Amino acid sequence: MLQKIYDWIDDRIDITPIWRDIADHEVPEHVNPAHHFSAFVYCFGGLTFFVVVIQILSGMFLTMYYVPDIENAWKSVYYLQTEVAHGQIVRGMHHWGASVVIVMLLLHTLRVFFQGAYKKPRELNWVVGVLIFFVMLGLGFTGYLLPWDNKAYFATQVGLEMAEQVPLIGTQLKILLAGDATIVGAQTLTRFFAIHVFFLPAALFGLLAAHFILIRRQGISGPL
Amino acid sequence: MSDEKQQVSRRQFLNYTLTGVGGFMAAGLLISPIRMAIDPVLKGSSGGDLANVGLSVDDITADPQRIDWSVDQVDGWYESEVSRSAWVYKNDNDEIVAFSPVCKHLGCIVSWEGSEQHPNEYFCPCHDGRYYKDGTNVPGTPPLAPLDVYEQEVKDGMLFLGDVIPQGEA
Amino acid sequence: MHKGKGMKFVGDSRISAERKPNIPKDYSEYPGRTEAFWPNFLLKEWLAGAVFLVGFLCLTLAHPSPLEGMADPTDAAYIPLPDWYFLFLYELLKYQFASGDFILLGMLVLPGLAFGALLLAPFLDNGPGRRPHQRPVAVGMMLLGLVSVVWLTYTSAANVDWESRAEANKPIPASEVTIDTEHPGYASYENSCLACHGAELEGGAGPTLVGIDLTAEEIATIAVDGIGSMPADQFQGTDEELEQLADFIITVNEAAE
Repeated sequence: MLQKIYDWIDDRIDITPIWRDIADHEVPEHVNPAHHFSAFVYCFGGLTFFVVVIQILSGMFLTMYYVPDIENAWKSVYYLQTEVAHGQIVRGMHHWGASVVIVMLLLHTLRVFFQGAYKKPRELNWVVGVLIFFVMLGLGFTGYLLPWDNKAYFATQVGLEMAEQVPLIGTQLKILLAGDATIVGAQTLTRFFAIHVFFLPAALFGLLAAHFILIRRQGISGPL
Repeated sequence: MSDEKQQVSRRQFLNYTLTGVGGFMAAGLLISPIRMAIDPVLKGSSGGDLANVGLSVDDITADPQRIDWSVDQVDGWYESEVSRSAWVYKNDNDEIVAFSPVCKHLGCIVSWEGSEQHPNEYFCPCHDGRYYKDGTNVPGTPPLAPLDVYEQEVKDGMLFLGDVIPQGEA
Repeated sequence: MHKGKGMKFVGDSRISAERKPNIPKDYSEYPGRTEAFWPNFLLKEWLAGAVFLVGFLCLTLAHPSPLEGMADPTDAAYIPLPDWYFLFLYELLKYQFASGDFILLGMLVLPGLAFGALLLAPFLDNGPGRRPHQRPVAVGMMLLGLVSVVWLTYTSAANVDWESRAEANKPIPASEVTIDTEHPGYASYENSCLACHGAELEGGAGPTLVGIDLTAEEIATIAVDGIGSMPADQFQGTDEELEQLADFIITVNEAAE
């Protein structure tokens, strides 16, 4: 039955080459931990992506309860954490995932760096990877404010103050981020929410796609 | 030959048109959203009124004291009463000085004699920033500028404070 | 590859009318013991992922995500702290060469150079050698950056008393605090305590009074003698009023539980 469905679809849109390209490429020996245990360092990139998937899923579910409004943001987080079954766990996944993803990203970056895997012809993929790193830090910074607790509020105030110190465009940059010249408040929260949930993830998806396509086209770097 | 040349230029023409129409669509789509996003940057801020802080001028001494009062704050659609605070004292010329407690380094809150190691100074716990009693930043500590002062007025013996004004380089 | 006239298509699409069998690639042409990504290698990756997930879920179960009290912009006593991966930047700004007149150096130039170099690493380190000892400058810079970031993060974190921070900032839902202004002790509270501890005991210049674990006697003692940075003689009234005041604070605490 399943085979028939597959054949029916394949007849019409020829999907076999697409998944064959992904599935049938050969994985060289030097990245396979089954042959060389030290090759576990090659897992860091995949695990980073795995945490990103955790972040996307848990984040999507968190927005079922969360409201980006200064009156209710904290209350909704408190509610989902204390009253909703497994809410504590889902927020925990998102909270700890945010830290773990930075750690994994760091490990992955260090692996690539110390192996010199970014050398010709893979320069572009390294640049894309570092941009992903920046987007992740941005996600961390904007996500930190969303629970609207004291820690979030004051850390964001300091962060915005830092943005203001940038020469020439500092003040404008701060207002652009905070939505107001002096107040970290209702408009800041909605802005950070939009950036955290829509703008940066959109950028992240694009960069991730580029990262993966480049890996498939260039293959993994050879052994040292 | 000339046919082929014309084909190329026709193709080029179509490419230019495609870019133009694409640019038009992108601009039409993005002008309003971008203008909306940067609106707060372009909006001028309006000066606030001075508010009675509930402190009689006679009670102000040479020792800085912390006062709290509240003002109506409009944050977009959200109006609220927020509390402000200030450190108020009388300087040697018998003038009233009201400092904003916001550290000029990164916006933490300073307090008078906030650290036991630094008497007679304002102290910021975030990065150990310090200010002298007249609000001047202690050289060698993180803050760049002296503490901001509040716009002030004395009416009927009561102190009224308004917006925060940065002090000139001291 | 068939081209042009040799190909038959379904309609005007690019789907070939003749199906070609998908012949698996011959792995012998690759060096070493290679294996197919699907399903051989992916299974191993997913095993690693499963172990990782178990560890990750254990972490989330063992350490519930922290939530502090609702943001209170007037809480002057609060010392801000960024998330741990920004701590190094935060700590850097404490140094004299990175703050004050040199704030741009600390805030923009140093991090800008570091992150800019990271971004452009392949173009800065463009020699042919890949092994670390063949590119001592790049590796040295990376190690230097790494050590300084770790050290800055460590110094910053070591200065923070995490436990007392968490203790002092426990979340108290505002809705659960009910203030009975009719209570005989409320008048005393209003006169002596409200200025610092807030109209709903939520704190301000002083800490919140909700969720404290003190007896009526201890509260009375603190009101008279002060504690920590709280000066003595904040409360000035009769002993009976003092008793009512302590009772009032206890009542609010009990109602909030």
